[in-house]
Amino acid sequence: MSQKGFTLWFTGLSGAGKTTLAHIVEAEMRRRNLKIEILDGDVVRTNLSKGLGFSKEDRDTNIRRIGFVCHLLSRNGVAAISAAISPYREIRDEVRKMIGDFVEVYVHCPLEVCAKRDVKGLYAKAMSGEIPVFTGVSDPYEEPLNPEVLVDSSKETPEESAQKILKKLEELGYLPKTDEVYSEEEEEEVKRRLEELGYF
Amino acid sequence: MGILDRLRSLGKPQTEVKEKKVVLIGLDGTPYTLLKQFCADGTMPNLAKIAANSSLRQMDVSIPEVSSTSWTCFYTGMNPAQHGIFGFLDLQPNSYKIYFPNSKSVKAPALWDVLGNYGKRSVVINVPETYPAKPLNGALISGFVATDLKKATYPPELLPTLMELEYRLDPDAQKARESKDAFLADIYDVFEKRRKTILHLFDQEKWSLFIGTITETDRLHHFMWDALVDKNHPYHNGFLDFYRRVDGLIGEVYDRLDSNTTFMMCSDHGFTSIEQQVYLNYWLKDNGYLKFTSESPKSVEEIAPGTRAFAMDPTRIYINLKGKYPQGAVEPGEEYEHLRREIAEGLRAITYQGKPVIKKVFMKEEVFRGPLMQQAPDLIVLSNYGFDMKGSTNKQTLMDREIFTGMHTQDDAHFLINRKDINEKKPHICDIAPTIMKELGIVIPSDVTGVALT
Ligand SMILES: Nc1ncnc2c1ncn2[C@@H]1O[C@H](COP(=O)(O)OP(=O)(O)OP(=O)(O)O)[C@@H](O)[C@H]1O
Ligand SMILES: [Mg+2]
Repeated sequence: MSQKGFTLWFTGLSGAGKTTLAHIVEAEMRRRNLKIEILDGDVVRTNLSKGLGFSKEDRDTNIRRIGFVCHLLSRNGVAAISAAISPYREIRDEVRKMIGDFVEVYVHCPLEVCAKRDVKGLYAKAMSGEIPVFTGVSDPYEEPLNPEVLVDSSKETPEESAQKILKKLEELGYLPKTDEVYSEEEEEEVKRRLEELGYF
Repeated sequence: MGILDRLRSLGKPQTEVKEKKVVLIGLDGTPYTLLKQFCADGTMPNLAKIAANSSLRQMDVSIPEVSSTSWTCFYTGMNPAQHGIFGFLDLQPNSYKIYFPNSKSVKAPALWDVLGNYGKRSVVINVPETYPAKPLNGALISGFVATDLKKATYPPELLPTLMELEYRLDPDAQKARESKDAFLADIYDVFEKRRKTILHLFDQEKWSLFIGTITETDRLHHFMWDALVDKNHPYHNGFLDFYRRVDGLIGEVYDRLDSNTTFMMCSDHGFTSIEQQVYLNYWLKDNGYLKFTSESPKSVEEIAPGTRAFAMDPTRIYINLKGKYPQGAVEPGEEYEHLRREIAEGLRAITYQGKPVIKKVFMKEEVFRGPLMQQAPDLIVLSNYGFDMKGSTNKQTLMDREIFTGMHTQDDAHFLINRKDINEKKPHICDIAPTIMKELGIVIPSDVTGVALT
């Protein structure tokens, strides 16, 4: 069976966990032989959207470009993953319409938690005004109303959140189910028995 | 029998030729040289009688000479780059994550699947690398590494019978570390239950092909080969006694055969004494090819960036190639070829007390051929007798000894068929499946690498 392309679209505040989850999910999808491309907001802004700023207009252009590339990839059988804040609902829905095979993941995390994590030191700068427009602080973030997957990174471990996403992709038929033969306990037993014979 | 066949047979006289059948007894890890010795010294009188009117030959097996790979060669007639089983563990694509290859990982049709297409039934007992049991025309009980009898049994209706016979999948090798008496008793116990099950299914089931495999032999050899070699060893007789029982089973099966049935025996590798265990990953680390993220890594999952090569049990060496692995560090092409030559040369120079440890280092294209070449190890090592190669990652020395006293050999497996007129060539384990197909009058698929010996 050849792979059906689709777009896995992460949205959420800076530091919510989009990049982190994109990479965990990617590893498991590769293991199940999917072709994948990740479009990470930070990376895209250094090439595809180089020169764009953070005005509403520039943000929209940035997301439309990412959406367009995801569209091209998806229709060619690739699993395209977008990991950008994508704060505006209208543009996300526009991209959804264009792509069709679209799975939206809302990585929810309260602003205080993101600010406390401050993975890149950006919240400190936003609070002090050094960065004038910053999503969640001085610029709006519009939550998705009906995302396919909702994860809460303030309450779940990254692995738990990733499991939710993978399960949904299986349900939707985008990800082949594993026919794992050994359960975790059985795998331990296999290891032990191979070890006893010096094979492991 | 289809309805047409039945109508046709109505008019035929009763003397029609009976359908050909094949019975094969597998003895995991039993060397040709050992069977010759036991035939000569009276330990295996039944076998000696059978062998007198048979061809009993020394046989080569594929490299690596481990049960998972070898038995899969046996039941597909194909080499590992066709069936996909290169050892007991392997890495998931594009990662350093280990998985345990199993029947669902086998990419080539099994002998019994081919027979099934011709409407022929098979009964297959305890062949390694058949877990979980997949549906077939017949019955199958999976062998090593089966963990759950239910998943190891097909059809499911067979399970109550196995419970009644108290069938056991495998002896408990842990016992060998506790007490040799307990270990031997356990081996005898598993064998006795296996013997009963083999004879029960032999009598009760309908089949064209019957395979019964004994794996207790291999376990005995791993831990107690010294008891065989040393005639004064306290367990010498215990070792021989096990083979007397195996000989008993061979006799019981042989006595049941009619003239339409071909009898065969084989093993998946031989055995010899261990002088030293040799740790390839230690050598790779010591020579700067391999780095780990911790002092005492549990497995190759803990590979560190900058690694250029790593080994997996027992003798498989993989180049950490860019594009193939997440932290690939070697460019395909000239850099890859150069590194392979350099490692091969280095390995050939390893000695122990002046003796060369390694007999031959093969490039993958010398031993494997098929669609799964990409998955194959880049280099594969064949050691000299006495030097047992291991894939351990946590050793701080190149060689040492552990509890094991026996090690596998690649060129001293055995094959027996109860007729004299077979090919002169030294049999290879891939030859058995096509030989069975030929005996049963079935067209041998063209991608089978082995050749019929009859
Ligand atoms: N359930 C979770 N899912 C994802 N990340 C989590 C989770 N729990 C904790 N974290 C942590 O939160 C941080 C998320 O950072 P990450 O760079 O992935 O955010 P991001 O959404 O990509 O931000 P940005 O939009 O700035 O790129 C990481 O340090 C991660 O370890
Ligand atoms: Mg990010």
